[in-house]
Amino acid sequence: MFSIRTILPALLALAAGGAALALAACGSSSSSANTGLNTPQGVLTPANEPQSGGHRGGTLTVLNHTDFEHIDPGTSYFSNDYEAMYATQRPLYSYKPNNVTTPTPDMAESDPQISSDGKNITIHIRHGVHFSPPVNREVTSADVAYALERAANPNVANPYYLGYLGAVEGVPKANGGPVPGIRTPNKYTLELHLTEPKAQLVAASLVLPYSAAVPADYAKRFDAQKPSEYGNYQVATGPYMFKANAEGKVLGTGYQPGKSATLVRNPNWNASTDFRPAYLDQINIQIGGDTNVIGRQVLEGSHMIQNDTPAQSIVKLAYEKFRSQLEISPNAGDHYIAINNSKGPFTNVNLRKAYWAALDREAMNKARGGSLVTILMTHYLWPETPGFEAAGGYAGPKVDYNEHPQGDMAVAEKYMKLAGYPSGKYTGGKTLTVVGSTGNPEPEDAQIATQALNKLGFKTKLNLVDKSVMYSKYCGVVSEAIDVCPNVGWVADFGDAQAVLNVPFNGKLIVANGTNSNWGLVNHQKINEAMTAAEKVQGKEARANAWANIDRELVGEAVAVPYDWDKQAQIQSKDVAGVGDLWNIGSWDYNYTSLK
Amino acid sequence: MINYIVRRLLWGLVLLIAVTALIFILFRVLPTADPATLRAGRLQSPKIIAEIRADLGLDKSLPAQFWIYLKGILLHFNLGYSYYSGASVKSLLFDRLPATVSLVLGGAVVWVTAGMTVGILSALRPRSRRDRASMGGALLLVSAPEYWLGLIVLYLFAADIGQLRIFPGSGSYVPLTTDPVKWFTSLLLPWFVVAAGNAAIYARLMRSSLIETMGQDYIRTARAKGLSERRVVMHHGVRAAINPILTILALDVGVLLGSAVLVETVFNIPGIGRLNYDAITHADFPIIQGTVLMAALFIIVANILVDIAYAYLDPRVRYS
Repeated sequence: MFSIRTILPALLALAAGGAALALAACGSSSSSANTGLNTPQGVLTPANEPQSGGHRGGTLTVLNHTDFEHIDPGTSYFSNDYEAMYATQRPLYSYKPNNVTTPTPDMAESDPQISSDGKNITIHIRHGVHFSPPVNREVTSADVAYALERAANPNVANPYYLGYLGAVEGVPKANGGPVPGIRTPNKYTLELHLTEPKAQLVAASLVLPYSAAVPADYAKRFDAQKPSEYGNYQVATGPYMFKANAEGKVLGTGYQPGKSATLVRNPNWNASTDFRPAYLDQINIQIGGDTNVIGRQVLEGSHMIQNDTPAQSIVKLAYEKFRSQLEISPNAGDHYIAINNSKGPFTNVNLRKAYWAALDREAMNKARGGSLVTILMTHYLWPETPGFEAAGGYAGPKVDYNEHPQGDMAVAEKYMKLAGYPSGKYTGGKTLTVVGSTGNPEPEDAQIATQALNKLGFKTKLNLVDKSVMYSKYCGVVSEAIDVCPNVGWVADFGDAQAVLNVPFNGKLIVANGTNSNWGLVNHQKINEAMTAAEKVQGKEARANAWANIDRELVGEAVAVPYDWDKQAQIQSKDVAGVGDLWNIGSWDYNYTSLK
Repeated sequence: MINYIVRRLLWGLVLLIAVTALIFILFRVLPTADPATLRAGRLQSPKIIAEIRADLGLDKSLPAQFWIYLKGILLHFNLGYSYYSGASVKSLLFDRLPATVSLVLGGAVVWVTAGMTVGILSALRPRSRRDRASMGGALLLVSAPEYWLGLIVLYLFAADIGQLRIFPGSGSYVPLTTDPVKWFTSLLLPWFVVAAGNAAIYARLMRSSLIETMGQDYIRTARAKGLSERRVVMHHGVRAAINPILTILALDVGVLLGSAVLVETVFNIPGIGRLNYDAITHADFPIIQGTVLMAALFIIVANILVDIAYAYLDPRVRYS
């Protein structure tokens, strides 16, 4: 449902070995004061990069270690896919690069009109936008309606639609056909009728690629296949399109899985209908290779960027020798330790607080690369998210178990005693199952997390598996009842507090089928009810405050041990005027990036 | 001889089915990710996951899944479809095969030529300075991991990031049919890396085998008959000493065709090894099975070819 940048493990980055600790030296501070972003001088950030580019034209080469997950706008939900999606497709709304909270009308002509009862949304579609060849005709509201409807098609299987569009009348039972709550009274108007007053969330989610128009007359035959083949024959509405043959086939022409992708200008794109500058003529994406080699090629080469995670050794190199080519972006998700709130010893809130107090969170962040790429996480809402300041800002809520990021065994012992262990050590005899991830630096973090448990007297059994296995076989499977998952992380899809807190911590959203993302099985009735109420709160500020209150309650229950608000590093060649997307972990935006 | 080959082919087929069964069981017993939930994404509805599971045939019993898979292979040479992209495994393998074949066969030419040359020269002057230097160098190369060596040669000689910018670097591979010259130059560094460790092993193997052969009675006889030393070494010594090399060559080529993942990754060559690696990270069983099956096929075929070559190279070997 939300994008988690966790799927493809950087196995070969293991060779970068001790780079993690070396990198920590770049930016780590001896003080435990948490002052936030702190980007070193000379390093770029998406928040203050110039949005105007170099010159118009030219070809940008993208060296990506990882392939796309999905190139169908109806399915795409990973940060790695988004840059290609937002260059080729126009959702109803989208963010400008340096913004993460206020969407700009894109395929929509203006902001959504929300009824006072929060149950109706009216959106006017922009005139004069055309699909790329071979469809060529103008986009209408029916195309947007079909895009939203097809998300429910099992052959498309969009993972968002129930979570975000579930309040739209008919969506819960939809299977790809017409949905009663999605109406098109005329060619340029789209209406969404909701059964609950959740218009604000539904409207906020229309920045996702699933709201990008899809022509039903062309796409239905591809959507009938299992899985849908539309992605391989997609048409574009954005400034660029995947290179395609005359029949519109992208697969094998503009996209060769595991090898390359080519984005070329969409001949039907009309600049007067769009806010994107689209400087580049072509974007060649090379897929595969080793992150250590790719990084050097980008830093020392010409007209290149890397648009997935660089190796730690490369970030260190860029920081030391190519600082103006390094971008550090906040708003890149988080990492926390999921602890089982529903079964086992951690059902006791004081044990959870003791664990939080005992953990050396600074050491965990140093393993991840230090303060250059991490911010000490003190609660669950992120910087840049509405409600963050109200929830405690960088310092976080004033609770004693959150005061000492290096770990404080005295405070931990206090809570152990409150939990019923007078010696200050756990004597329950249960051996905790800890499941972490392989890769780099996850095993080191998992070991630090396990050591803290051992200090509290717990016996532990640590199991390190591939990240996809960790989620789909252990931490995401309710029946496994894993006690501690120290390597889980979260990236929300849009700048709304609900998108940060709801799925990981709402007990009502626990699913037993292996796609569960409430890894700590957090299920506290009071918090669940507060979340249900907050979903319906209208008005930006009121909504932000409602979710900030929930954040404080989550901290009060110590539902998970937070340690890292991620910052993401991105690199570019010296002759690229890269513009990173604050809303997408700083990834370089193909619509704004240009060549010098 | 023909009976022997037919018998070997039939045994090869049985072996392939056994390997298929083994891999099939292995990837379903070990704790790998669930393909249906991976494809479904986060928080997907049980209905959608059930449909995906049914589409992938994962709702059937294991024996039923295996029988469908085996039937597809035996009757239609259908290796199944990727759980992730839906692409035919056969087409993916054929698409990636040329790159891997280019890498491995070219590398094999390099390591066999270099290894045998050094081995022969060392064997002719055992314990000489040349011999000690060659074998010392071989020891160094054997000890160098492919991944590390790949990075080192790129940092030294790659045209984009090297200290001496001589050879095309990572990501420069183009298919032979697109541009033969670029294909050749783009593979020079990868061939060196693939060949380095193997050449060292082959040199040591050739040296010991040839030293032993050159002490045989028939070599003394050949010399007594007045044959030139070159003819004695090449026609009587090397021809007899080469059998162990051939045996290991077949295995090495077969294994590498399915597992050159490190070199393919460092040099960004889109071959079978990288396909396999990506498939493992996505729990894409059909692709993993397909690549392993292909590697097994290569090894079996290579072994049969070696057995036939034995008979040609060594007159003492005859099959009935």
